[in-house]
Amino acid sequence: MLATRSLKALVALGAVGLVTQGAPALAETMGPVTDEIGVIKIPKGAPIHIGGYWTISGPDIALGLDQQRGAEIAMDDWDNKVAGHPIKFLVEDSQCNAEGGQTAATKLASNQNVVLVVGPDCSSAATPGAPILWNAGIPSVGTSTTAPSLTAADRKPGYHGYLRSIYNDLSAGAADADYFYDVLGCRTLATVHDGSPYAEQLVRVAEGRFKEHGGEVVAAEAVAPTDVDMRPLLTGIATAKPCALYFPIFVAAAAQIARQAGEISGLEDTNIVGGSALMAPGFLEAAGDSAIDFVFTNPDASTDAFGEGYNEFLEKYEEKYGEKPIQAFHANAYDGAVIALMAIEKVAQKDDDGNTYIGRKALRDALFATSGHQGIGGPIDCDENGDCAGFKFAVYQFVDSDPDSFEIGVNPKKIYPTK
Amino acid sequence: MAFDVVTASYQEREKVRSPLVHALRAGLTMGGVTIFLAAVGIVRQFNERWIIADVLTLGQFALGFCALVAGVLVARKTKAVNAAAATLQGLIAGATAAGILSLLVLIMSEVKLRFMFVALSKPLFNILTFKLGTFGGIAVLIACGATLGLLGALLYVTPARYRRPIVTALSAVALVGLFQELIQLMIQREGILSAIRETFFTWDGLSLQGAILVALIALGVKSLWMWRRERIVTRYHGLPTGQQKTVRVSMTLVGMLVFLLIPLAAGNFIGQVFLLVGLYVLMGYGLNLELGLCGLLDLGFVAFFAIGAYTTALLTADSPVSIANWSFWEALPVAVVLSLIVGVIFGVPVLKVRGDYLAVATLGLGEIVRVLVLSDFAGPVFGGAQGILNIPRPHIGDFAIDNPVKLFYLTVILCGIVAFIAWRLQYSRLGRAWTAIRDDEDVAQALGINLINCKLLAYGLGAAFCGVAGAIFGVMLGSIFPHSFQLLISINVLALIIVGGLGSLPGVALGAAALIGLPELLREFGEFRFLFYGMTIVAMMRLKPEGLWPSESVKRERHSLEVTQAEVEAELHGETAASEKPAE
Amino acid sequence: MASVSQGGAGGASIWHKMRGFTYVDAILWALRILVIVVVVGGTIGTLIKGRYSIEQWFDFFMFGLTIGGVYALIALGYTMVYGILRLINFAHGDITMTGAFTAYFLARALDRNGVLDSNPILAMAAIMGLAMVVCSVIALVVERICYRPFRQVASLAPLICAIGASFFLQHTARGLYGSNVRSYPDPEWLKGEITFFGFSVPPVQPMVILTAIAAMLVLYAIVQKTRMGTAMRAVAEDRDAAAMMGIDVNKVIIFTFVLGGCMAGIGGVLYCMVYNQIYYFTGFLPGIKAFSAAVLGGIGNIPGAMVGGFFLGVVESVGPALFLDGIGIKAPYQLRDLIAFTMLVMVLIFRPQGILGERLATKRA
Repeated sequence: MLATRSLKALVALGAVGLVTQGAPALAETMGPVTDEIGVIKIPKGAPIHIGGYWTISGPDIALGLDQQRGAEIAMDDWDNKVAGHPIKFLVEDSQCNAEGGQTAATKLASNQNVVLVVGPDCSSAATPGAPILWNAGIPSVGTSTTAPSLTAADRKPGYHGYLRSIYNDLSAGAADADYFYDVLGCRTLATVHDGSPYAEQLVRVAEGRFKEHGGEVVAAEAVAPTDVDMRPLLTGIATAKPCALYFPIFVAAAAQIARQAGEISGLEDTNIVGGSALMAPGFLEAAGDSAIDFVFTNPDASTDAFGEGYNEFLEKYEEKYGEKPIQAFHANAYDGAVIALMAIEKVAQKDDDGNTYIGRKALRDALFATSGHQGIGGPIDCDENGDCAGFKFAVYQFVDSDPDSFEIGVNPKKIYPTK
Repeated sequence: MAFDVVTASYQEREKVRSPLVHALRAGLTMGGVTIFLAAVGIVRQFNERWIIADVLTLGQFALGFCALVAGVLVARKTKAVNAAAATLQGLIAGATAAGILSLLVLIMSEVKLRFMFVALSKPLFNILTFKLGTFGGIAVLIACGATLGLLGALLYVTPARYRRPIVTALSAVALVGLFQELIQLMIQREGILSAIRETFFTWDGLSLQGAILVALIALGVKSLWMWRRERIVTRYHGLPTGQQKTVRVSMTLVGMLVFLLIPLAAGNFIGQVFLLVGLYVLMGYGLNLELGLCGLLDLGFVAFFAIGAYTTALLTADSPVSIANWSFWEALPVAVVLSLIVGVIFGVPVLKVRGDYLAVATLGLGEIVRVLVLSDFAGPVFGGAQGILNIPRPHIGDFAIDNPVKLFYLTVILCGIVAFIAWRLQYSRLGRAWTAIRDDEDVAQALGINLINCKLLAYGLGAAFCGVAGAIFGVMLGSIFPHSFQLLISINVLALIIVGGLGSLPGVALGAAALIGLPELLREFGEFRFLFYGMTIVAMMRLKPEGLWPSESVKRERHSLEVTQAEVEAELHGETAASEKPAE
Repeated sequence: MASVSQGGAGGASIWHKMRGFTYVDAILWALRILVIVVVVGGTIGTLIKGRYSIEQWFDFFMFGLTIGGVYALIALGYTMVYGILRLINFAHGDITMTGAFTAYFLARALDRNGVLDSNPILAMAAIMGLAMVVCSVIALVVERICYRPFRQVASLAPLICAIGASFFLQHTARGLYGSNVRSYPDPEWLKGEITFFGFSVPPVQPMVILTAIAAMLVLYAIVQKTRMGTAMRAVAEDRDAAAMMGIDVNKVIIFTFVLGGCMAGIGGVLYCMVYNQIYYFTGFLPGIKAFSAAVLGGIGNIPGAMVGGFFLGVVESVGPALFLDGIGIKAPYQLRDLIAFTMLVMVLIFRPQGILGERLATKRA
């Protein structure tokens, strides 16, 4: 009884809340710009504040730090200037969890000068973070947040200011399953995820698609990202004799699987396939010689399609940070930062005194209108839901285990589609 | 007791050394610290932030501070009384510290070490050499080090009358420079605040003009306070006891009120930080019941936090795995009761386990909960790694508690209730039974205390408090994921109640503010967050092992212990313990 | 408040013997029965399914012994320090990591210039030696800063300090050596397989197990036969009495930390030889597991730590397949830690003093 009554009350209140929250502020006019949500004025000579939030502490630090560096290199490439103003890049720690994402986003959102935010890396941080930012009129560009719910067509209005420079698990997982079924001709599949929302989602999507085709999932296993002893797991999987073993997990655990799979009898005929989290020199470092001939799926990023940008990027990265990229999504972060800067450049308007004005809604629209951009991680074409990384499926294979030889298109070389 | 003291006499005695050796030692130590700062990458990162815009970076400040400390250290060690001796010693200490750092510069210029030490990069080299090349840089470095060491030593021998205002002024500048981003966030409004901001700050940080103003203001306030202090204190002591109490209580109340109003004035981010601190205070009160009163070490506390959060989520969320569509207010009691029950159930197996075994047993239980919630096995129930989304915010009538500031006040109210319960429990029959168990289990049992029930109640109530925190956590985020419930949370809670002062309710709040609030306020140092966290914990334990705000009983015990130890030591060594304390 | 005590199991008055049966016993029995049902039911289920062959069970067992040997080596550091100082050296796992991480650079250099392949024993000795030295030095520094000031105070301060030190070491290593996962070299002589009794195993497994056992034997001899070892045992028994007998307690404590550090150094390098990778977080989890192993075996008890380590390793490795697979639990390997910790809790219920019993004369509170 109480429950139903309060349920009604809740619905009513929810409606009130929606009305009060969802209502856009009155259009604001400042200088030459009028905008539905608001206008930011950047006085002559003042910096343009761009926010960022990634995992830069704790055990997942490599994931976020790598992307922060990617974005920083993008800004370096623009001489740390956009629309004639210096860039002030405010990076916060998302901690790869919901509370970290919320705190970081709240901090960025409470800074009225922040024009736009690049990041985060983890979907669990973006889930609370993105609406906080957009409710403050700040659009954000996710750089390795792949959860489908973030750009689902029926998402809440709070996510309307969120887009991402990385693929959606739905398209990636399905494409991977198609590859196993159609190209490799597999009818049995084994999967492994590491308990991260990213890998779990990918695996579930791929399993669903594989079953739709009529294949059988013979083993659906999981590990912890810190696990090192994969032999019992692999021995168990080997008893099911799958045609393909799919594990779209992160470098450390994936390298262990790559190393130990060779020692397990019964996996000799299995196609062992990793995911795009392994497109990094760090994997060669971690997997050593077992990386040779190792196969993984990744959005098509071959140099014939995108020019030399990525290899130049690698040099800058190593020069600046003293090590090779430590995770796989730095290129997405670079691209995310670049489309952010392009959008700012596009909507920024100057008055006669040299002040710059940026409309918040206009900036969001400009971001969502990005298309035909050749990023170093793939082509960027945004759709109305905020999925920007046009997903073109490809399969890569490492040919050498020396991290210094990492060069997309050569090591790893593209083995599918062959053309 | 006496045996302890006998063992204590094995601790090495201070050797008598010459002032030169002291100076070299201080220099070597602080030089080591500077190398550490450089090699770990702190200097490089700090150098991107200004303390005073375009004048002094945080990186330079940190290195300079080390040289300054070297000077202070040597002056303190040798109890230098005259300026001339202090000057010389400080000079040597500072120069030594800089010399050690110069060695690093030399090595960096000659040998490629970056394959091993990733932070030893070209930009770091430029920072350390002021872009003057190897030898020019080293010369400047040593000159700076010597000057700062000298200043440090001089500062130490300056009479307190002058020294204190100077130190206050410098600290004020450093603090304002460090927190400039936060301060600017708080005063980013139009009108008078905007004028203040432009006076003190530029886009990059504290301006030179602002720094001078801050220093002058701090200097003035401190001098004024030092001048008036004696008179105020005398007047306070002149009051009758009753009035003294009134003054004390009203001051505390005003202080708390001001503190509670900060988030309202400072906006959502500060509200969010305060909210997180509040959640940890709630958990701290819970663990304090278990550990502080009953002496049960618990490293699996995060389990109850997770249970509170997941219960709320499952009962309220608009998600495929949720089981009801209740409001927060209906879910909260369920979450609390469920946490309590699970607390008791967790308590049962570890009842007979004592001391450090308990730590590892509870750690295991906490991990079991986390692994289970995350697993595919329990995925259909808890949503697995994808978590539970769309948890609605609480409402009171038409009033939605939907932003961090409002949630903070909700947390404050719940904290108040919990603190009241905890306080009443502490002095109740049960509380005394707990204390008896903590002090000696066997004696407590002999006195007729039911160990099992008392311990289980401690576990249950502690868990219930933690469940409250979990429930708020769930609605704060609007979505929960298993990755939020790491062992780190248990460790944080344990650390904060020890750092704050075991068994002391205000201590818990203080500990939470220090260990949770500060890192959140300095989020931009994320990369080094846990490095500083570790250092802070160790430093706090070294400086104040009984906690920032120890409970009355601990204070009493410690006092009596110190007195006895001092007496025995005095007897043993034939000298008074007081003379070993450094002269102020 | 007292009502809770009455809320127990109902049928207590049926038999006289059952009078003392409370709700606590009910919960404990329920727990035992649950675990037994899972273990027995799972085992039977798995064996009936017949998914694994005898060779595979042997493999599981060997995997378990290998990781167990490493756990045991690290656990020794915990157990010895606990015996002497009665405190959990929470930073021990990270101390292990610092040694192995530093030795990585030597290992890499030796691998690049071919010494590791041409002169394996010498090279391994050098690598382990460096790891032992680094671990010992770091252990001593941690002791000096975090534990010594609190030696006379019975409080949780040293535990908290140790936790602080653990964070500090992890993130110092990260700052110094980078966040990358580094790959330990994989020398030629560890490739291929060796066969005995019809079973084939990768050579790294017997190497690790044998090295671990050898190291433990040496340690045991030191503790049992040398003067310093005797002093260690005396201090563990009663520090004050030992001090009065003229034993330099300080020296003994330092010696203990060095011994623990050496074992950690060997353990760390072996761990990296098995799993071929190291990064700054490598030490934390094995540290916690090894601590559990020490408790399992009976903390303060040196043979106990060894037994606990091997036992934990084997159960972790065999458990998911044996117990969970059979009752149809999804993704059993994800629950590996759950098995390890459940077993820990069960051991503490059935045998609070650990498998071999603790070697401590006095109770502690």
